[in-house]
Amino acid sequence: MTYWSRRLLGALAVLFAVLALNFALFRLMPGDPVTSLVDPRFSPEAKEALSRAYGLDRPLGEQFLLYLKQTVTFDFGLSFVSGRPVWQELRDRLPHTVALSGSALVLAGTMGTALGVAAARRRGGAVERVVLAAGALSFSFPSFFLQLLLLLAFAVLWPLFPLRGSVSVPAPQGAAFIADYLHHLALPVLSLALLGFGSWALYVRNLMVKILGSEPLFLARAKGLPEPVLLWRHAFRTALPPLLTLILLSLPGLLSGAVITETVFSLHGVGRFLLESIQGQDYPAAGGAFYLLALVTVTSNVLADLAYGLADPRIRVDRRKGQ
Amino acid sequence: MSLLRRWSPWALLLLALAGLLGPILLGEAEKTVAPPFSRPLWLDRTAPPTVHLHLSPEVREKTLDWIWEPPAGLALKGTYRLPPGTSGKIVWDGPSGPVPLASLTGAGSLSLDGRDIAFRLRLGLSPFQSPLETLFADRGSYRLAYEGPEPEALSVELHLSGGRWGLLGTDQRGRDVFRLFLAGISVSLLIGLAATLLATLVGTSAGLLSGYLGGPVDSLVMRLADLLLALPLLPLLMVLAGLWGRGLWQLVLILGLFSWMGTARTVRSLTLSLREAPFVENLRALGAPTWYILGRHLLPEALPVLLATVTLGVPGAILAEAGLAFLGLSDPRLLSWGRMLHEAHGFGAFTAGAWWILLPPGLGIVFVCLAFLDLGRFLEEKADPRLRETLP
Repeated sequence: MTYWSRRLLGALAVLFAVLALNFALFRLMPGDPVTSLVDPRFSPEAKEALSRAYGLDRPLGEQFLLYLKQTVTFDFGLSFVSGRPVWQELRDRLPHTVALSGSALVLAGTMGTALGVAAARRRGGAVERVVLAAGALSFSFPSFFLQLLLLLAFAVLWPLFPLRGSVSVPAPQGAAFIADYLHHLALPVLSLALLGFGSWALYVRNLMVKILGSEPLFLARAKGLPEPVLLWRHAFRTALPPLLTLILLSLPGLLSGAVITETVFSLHGVGRFLLESIQGQDYPAAGGAFYLLALVTVTSNVLADLAYGLADPRIRVDRRKGQ
Repeated sequence: MSLLRRWSPWALLLLALAGLLGPILLGEAEKTVAPPFSRPLWLDRTAPPTVHLHLSPEVREKTLDWIWEPPAGLALKGTYRLPPGTSGKIVWDGPSGPVPLASLTGAGSLSLDGRDIAFRLRLGLSPFQSPLETLFADRGSYRLAYEGPEPEALSVELHLSGGRWGLLGTDQRGRDVFRLFLAGISVSLLIGLAATLLATLVGTSAGLLSGYLGGPVDSLVMRLADLLLALPLLPLLMVLAGLWGRGLWQLVLILGLFSWMGTARTVRSLTLSLREAPFVENLRALGAPTWYILGRHLLPEALPVLLATVTLGVPGAILAEAGLAFLGLSDPRLLSWGRMLHEAHGFGAFTAGAWWILLPPGLGIVFVCLAFLDLGRFLEEKADPRLRETLP
């Protein structure tokens, strides 16, 4: 088997396992699956009709097939709480979560890369100390605690930013709406970037230190290339493929971070939807949201693998045989 | 012992002691002791504090220096039993003369509040006059006393509610934050250690078996590890906690069963490198059974590394528990640091500007994590001295 087909097959296996897990989680838990998938307050006739619609009266194997078909077509059923299709609810919220995680990723990535490169250029300098400290802190600091502190400092004690919500109530119209939305998004994005840039910078620094000490760079320096060309055109370019992978691999963590961030700042998004569904025992909604998050994770893992294989041909050689 | 010269073991020991002894010495944390969002005692000394004066057969008199404005509220509660046919009274004595608060006869219970009209009338006030202005007319030395014959039983408490309480104030339910903080220590340490031990147990067994046996077992275990690593951890933990239960041991089980993958990989690679070592080959040639080779020879080789893995794994488990509790997915009766932050976030500590509820649990989590990281690094260096040279 070639590298590509093996990777894709592996991804499909993981995806299938996610589907199976999602199926099992919401059906094999204590209690009757009907009560977990159909709102207990419904009348007996409605319950029966709904269990037939979800196929809950059929054997497990058949149920699984039906579930597969529904999941692939994003038909997660109706939310107990709002009564709307779960997919519609998720589609409403997805752009907000993407805006939050995306801008945090861009900010953390840019900050982290710039600081990491700077730290690698001047070993032992002030920038390197900052990078090392920020990296260590990001492993032991609970994200919600930092966010709560920021919220207390910049929304309560010194009210620069709003305390909660994605937009003001009532929401302004037109251009003012965008400004209001960005105003609400600023502190969450800033906090995520603050939490994320440390590990980025640490990674970039380690990568660049290794590259800057390598022989091709030694030669380039011996040729008398100017420092910026050496740093960005030669060293940084070599570091790009692993960085590309890091972007994709940091997506799952960002989504986990989005759950917490959306809760702390009371933002409209998929993460808080998942939490509220779990707390409200809205099982179809919780299952759909969890599946969506898992799908993004698996997809970004696969894309990371593929991107790395494209960028660095050496990876395509089977590493396992060498062990 | 160079371990004793590090700060982290002492810090953790101290914290564990505080967590064990605190609830015993200070009483349970669940009790409401003062008005909600009381400030810490050492803050803003011009505001009146909350004071409890307790009278018992042994202590029949309590004195109090009051140098503040009158308190916001007053309540007298308790039970008593006097010798038959006698009567006594509770007296409040101050610069402006003694005032009888309540008269006691026979046996019974007291429940008086400064807001009660009957209480005001008995003090000779109009129903609209606050008794606090009268009882605390001057600043100076006051005395609460029981006067009467030797009581058979007496347990009366006078609550004066002000705006300050204890070392760290109170939370939204009027509970002592310092006691809650101490109660949270044991929860964090217990969940962190138990979950990591479980994860290490699972991970070590999986790693030893898959590394030594190889073949289909190896593929199966490693694919399972890959799969679990590919899932978004926090949403998965949230779903599990939401569906399967939120008690202490359920959390330990959930955290333990979904964080063994790293240990399994480490142990597997160690086992792989030892599997073909001459001494293992000799053991096999001598006819040693697999479990014997694994348990008596390969496991001890992995132990130093495992010790470091356990220690370094604890912060992850503590952070995960705190995260779940912060999201409200833990047992509400479990007084953990994450739960404190959850309640601080959800029940108005922010609008009250009550930073004293927010800081202690958060800093507690950071401190415990840093201590375990420091201890883990030390153990890691001990297990693998090569690390010492490469560390920055």
